[in-house]
Amino acid sequence: MIDVAGLSARAGTFSLTDITFHIPARGYGVVIGPAGAGKTTLLEVLAGVIPATSGTVRLADRDMHGVPPEARGIGLVYQHAYLFPHLSVADNVTYGTSDLAFAHDVARRLGVHALMNRPVHALSGGERQLVALTRAIAPRPPILLLDEPFVALDPRRRAAIRREVRALYRELGSTVLQVTHDFTEAGLLGDVAVLLDAGRVLQAGPPEEVFRKPASSEVAAFLGAENVYAGTVVVLGDGTVEFHTSDGAMTFVAAGDATPGPGHAVVPADEIVLSPTAIASSARNVFHGYVEAVERSGPLARVTVMVDGAPLVAALTTRSASELRLDRGTPVIASFKAMAVHLC
Amino acid sequence: MSRLATVVVAVAASLLLLFLAAPLAELVVSGGRQGLHALGSDAELRDALVLTAATATTATLLGLLAGTPIAYLLARRAFPGRAALAALLDLPVLIPHPVAGIALLLALGRHTAVGSALFAAGLRITGTPTGIVSAMLFVSCPLYLSAARETFDRVDARFETVARTLGDPPWRVFRRVTLPLASRGLVAAAVIMWARAVSEFGAVVILTYNPQVASVLSYDRFTTYGLPGALPVAAVLVLLALIPLAILHRLR
Repeated sequence: MIDVAGLSARAGTFSLTDITFHIPARGYGVVIGPAGAGKTTLLEVLAGVIPATSGTVRLADRDMHGVPPEARGIGLVYQHAYLFPHLSVADNVTYGTSDLAFAHDVARRLGVHALMNRPVHALSGGERQLVALTRAIAPRPPILLLDEPFVALDPRRRAAIRREVRALYRELGSTVLQVTHDFTEAGLLGDVAVLLDAGRVLQAGPPEEVFRKPASSEVAAFLGAENVYAGTVVVLGDGTVEFHTSDGAMTFVAAGDATPGPGHAVVPADEIVLSPTAIASSARNVFHGYVEAVERSGPLARVTVMVDGAPLVAALTTRSASELRLDRGTPVIASFKAMAVHLC
Repeated sequence: MSRLATVVVAVAASLLLLFLAAPLAELVVSGGRQGLHALGSDAELRDALVLTAATATTATLLGLLAGTPIAYLLARRAFPGRAALAALLDLPVLIPHPVAGIALLLALGRHTAVGSALFAAGLRITGTPTGIVSAMLFVSCPLYLSAARETFDRVDARFETVARTLGDPPWRVFRRVTLPLASRGLVAAAVIMWARAVSEFGAVVILTYNPQVASVLSYDRFTTYGLPGALPVAAVLVLLALIPLAILHRLR
């Protein structure tokens, strides 16, 4: 369990302020944030290297106030591995444990066993990260803190190592907090996502909630949501609300409660259905427009539809985009359900 | 850079190199053979060299032992007065060395509180090898502290962080990680300190004229016998300086 409440800390001129989140025991948390958000600093505060100026940190049900790093029961993997250059790979792997059998077992499972007799300087960036992971897991720490641990691995190996690390932490019963830039990785691995920017938590919760229901327009923009609109919420009283975009181009129908007045609406691009003509559907939001641009990226295409001068971006497969013959200027109908509109 | 400027810079650099190298080369050429011969025949020179090496080595070991933790603290820990302490430790390098000798004489001489207490305990400073070690330590240890601090600065603190998360308390991290990573730099720093201690004259001569270290002997021979008498001793000292120079070159 990792329980952080009202945590503040200073590292040089940078500050972490009022950080609060909770990763349950045996949970997998991911910290997402841009460069300079304070992700690594947060891990170092949890590790006890940087002192907290206020707030509490509880790791595995223990209050960490005054507990030095060596007594916190943590494993820490930095993005740049920090393998001890004066030791061999084998000595790095067994540095923190006397259980050599288990250390070698972890090494085998992470594909490090073939590197054991190599000097550290002869390893590639990806191999270094694997050795650092093995070294951190070998002492069976109850808490694992991982700073971009897969970033130097090639995509195929990354997927396999992710699976293996997830299996290992489950077997050990550890709680993991991992820093990542990769939203896909966050969605795949995380039970809890913590969005961090400029030393503050923007939002924390289950990844699907964070990605689908960003707490603010800033969070939505940070997560790369294309359809974020400023406007006014009007409560209709039948369990739905209307959202009038401030430019007057669109009015959305959204489900659920909302506070009347100014706000933001987010429409996930993959919730928008495009069709050349009207189709029978339960969608409450239907807009006529024309295709402004089609960006194809591998199997996915992002189609920008202009509705009364306002852009609405839909995500669909490249094959669908081709079948619908969505070229610039093509008239098109964009529709999505009231449930798809998130107000914040 | 214009052609003229290039020529001016090249000439200035060449003249500087000549200025630095020519006197030493001339010294070795003129007195080198005599000096090497004197090593076999001049017992006073041999004694001075042995005393110099022994006292410089003692001073360096003391500097290593006491100075390494100070250098590490200055590199790693932020504490009130750190800048002032670093400046204070640099001071002995900046003052004239006879002044350093006078300061030591004031602090450790027989008529001072510390000196009389040491004398009562059987430790005489002035006129003894202890005085030579004291003078060498005082003037050369700041060089070790400065170089050792830079060495520790270059060891990324995150190696230590990782070692601590792997269960090592700070002193064990220092022994298992920091010291091995800093060892080359610390040895180089110690060699610089040793070489500076060997060449010390100003402070040593104030505290202990006799027994004579090599630098004092060369001065003594010069004042007694003139240039011909000092030349072999001086040439031997220049040749011996090549040893730490070679070690430093290898370490870098």
